[in-house]
Amino acid sequence: MVVTPIDETSIQIKIDSTLYSSGVVHKCFYWYGGKYSVEINTEQSYFVVIISDPKKEWNIDSIVSKIKTDLIDFKTREIISNETKNIREILIAKAFANNDDFDETPPGNVNDPIGFEPSKI
Amino acid sequence: MDALTIKNFRKFKGIEFYRQSNDKYHLLPFRFHRINDEKEVLVNEVGDFIIAPLGTATRIANRELSEEEPLYKDLFANFFISDKPIPDLIDVLATRYRTKKSFLDEFTALHIFVVSLRCNHSCHYCQVSRVSENRKDFDISMENLEAGIQHMFRSPASAITMEFQGGEPLLAFDNVKFAVERAVELNKYFKKEITFVVCTNSTVFSDDIVEFCKLHSIIISTSLDGPEFLHNANRPKSGAKSYEMVIEGINKARSILGHDNVSALMTTTSLSLDYPIEIINNYIENGFSNIFLRPISPYGFALKNTNKNKYETDKYLEFYKTGLNYILELNKKGHFFVEDYTTVILKKILTPFPVSYVDLQSPAGMINNVVVFNYDGYVYATDESRMLAENNDFTFRLGHIKEEYNSIFYGEKAKFFSQFWSNESLAGCADCGLQSYCGADPVFHYASQGDYEGHRATSDFCKKNMEIIRHLFDLIDNNGKELLPIFNSWINNRPRF
Repeated sequence: MVVTPIDETSIQIKIDSTLYSSGVVHKCFYWYGGKYSVEINTEQSYFVVIISDPKKEWNIDSIVSKIKTDLIDFKTREIISNETKNIREILIAKAFANNDDFDETPPGNVNDPIGFEPSKI
Repeated sequence: MDALTIKNFRKFKGIEFYRQSNDKYHLLPFRFHRINDEKEVLVNEVGDFIIAPLGTATRIANRELSEEEPLYKDLFANFFISDKPIPDLIDVLATRYRTKKSFLDEFTALHIFVVSLRCNHSCHYCQVSRVSENRKDFDISMENLEAGIQHMFRSPASAITMEFQGGEPLLAFDNVKFAVERAVELNKYFKKEITFVVCTNSTVFSDDIVEFCKLHSIIISTSLDGPEFLHNANRPKSGAKSYEMVIEGINKARSILGHDNVSALMTTTSLSLDYPIEIINNYIENGFSNIFLRPISPYGFALKNTNKNKYETDKYLEFYKTGLNYILELNKKGHFFVEDYTTVILKKILTPFPVSYVDLQSPAGMINNVVVFNYDGYVYATDESRMLAENNDFTFRLGHIKEEYNSIFYGEKAKFFSQFWSNESLAGCADCGLQSYCGADPVFHYASQGDYEGHRATSDFCKKNMEIIRHLFDLIDNNGKELLPIFNSWINNRPRF
């Protein structure tokens, strides 16, 4: 991530698009829209983000530090979301299915290792 | 499945078996959110949580977690990770999810009847443009009241609440009386569990009214804004001091209906922000064991007096935290006293069950849990919707009370709103670690941002709820041993001692 101050109220941040996807960058900077003006462009293999017009006094170091952390967090969210998309759909389909349409009996007979046999009670 | 697989599945296996199969674990859906400088909370799809050091979610996602770590077992046992792409116990997780969303099974439970817009107060934060006491043309007609009651019994809910609002509903006591008696009569056939609630300013109680409330076990919900100077400033009444009349009314109602059948609700105005402790002490002095530190609603008539009614969410949060801290200190000393909004959120965090609080649900409470039959015969999606209507914004008007049930509750408007009522699919909410404990509120966002979906980064709803929920996790992280027994006593509504 390369940070370049433009003037007193704006900075440019270049983010390597091989490290962070468009989704991660947009979701991350969505949350900065309340405090700053945010513009996202692409340039070769980089996202070029311009943050400007802070509503209050700003400390560029702390903002950049927060952006770095947020990018990692949103990348983590993307990994989890992508990997669990199917299981989430299965889970919700099962949760809202009527008449036990999607219920599955766990494999095996109801039993346990110490020989308890419920069917004989 | 062959016999050998079945036999192996049920057979007791040693730790070595699991070590072999856990070279790489599989992720299950979960989200996370920073709660302080050291910790983050991980929340799975059914709202179970684990508080862990910052960076834990990233370590989990990057497969850096070792099965030797105690956290690994917690994550495994609580459906954050699995040894298989689809865990064997997925039906258990699905049942948990269904339980969390079980408020949808019953559909509309809370039916608000605005029996009159007349009122004897002129509160500056009132969200509806009330009219003076003698204008009976602002009462609901018996015909429309009957139509509303018929709709109420068409709801699939086995337990319903019939709530009377105004204006001051008891100025139209004949309407309340008719509605309750008619509901009781019809219920001989429908056999639903009905709770009657009258939201009143408690200044018009006659003996007849209170006796009628007793006869039908009607719960009184009244307005009390705190100490006399504050209450009277917030809730002016011409020719009399509201505070004295309210306290007199509360005591009269309690003496006949029973202490616990009278509850009070406060509204936080700009003036209230400086007096959280005084407000709480006033509630205690008046015999209440709970308070709802409720922010003002940015709707309708209330917006006309912005000096008194509009304040920054940060100021409200400071007010809330000061109040909550004071209440917690009282509880630590053995005085059982509950903050209601905190309890709503704690129930979502600490129990597997849904909470019947329409402002903090996903899908949103509008239509799904609440509907309003207005004095003019129109049906609105929420109480706040009819407040917008008083400023000639009829966006959330679902139809006329005499239209068919399906066209009101399942009509085109309801379908349209459904695009915006699940936080699982809203920008900003979809990835939020606090999603399970929060809700969606299209009416609030439409009213405050002109957008049904809302912009989370500038949303007061989001700012308030995210900070309150984060604060509660921070409290649990820093002092859970002392606070969790208090929080559980609030959830169970039972003193610890």
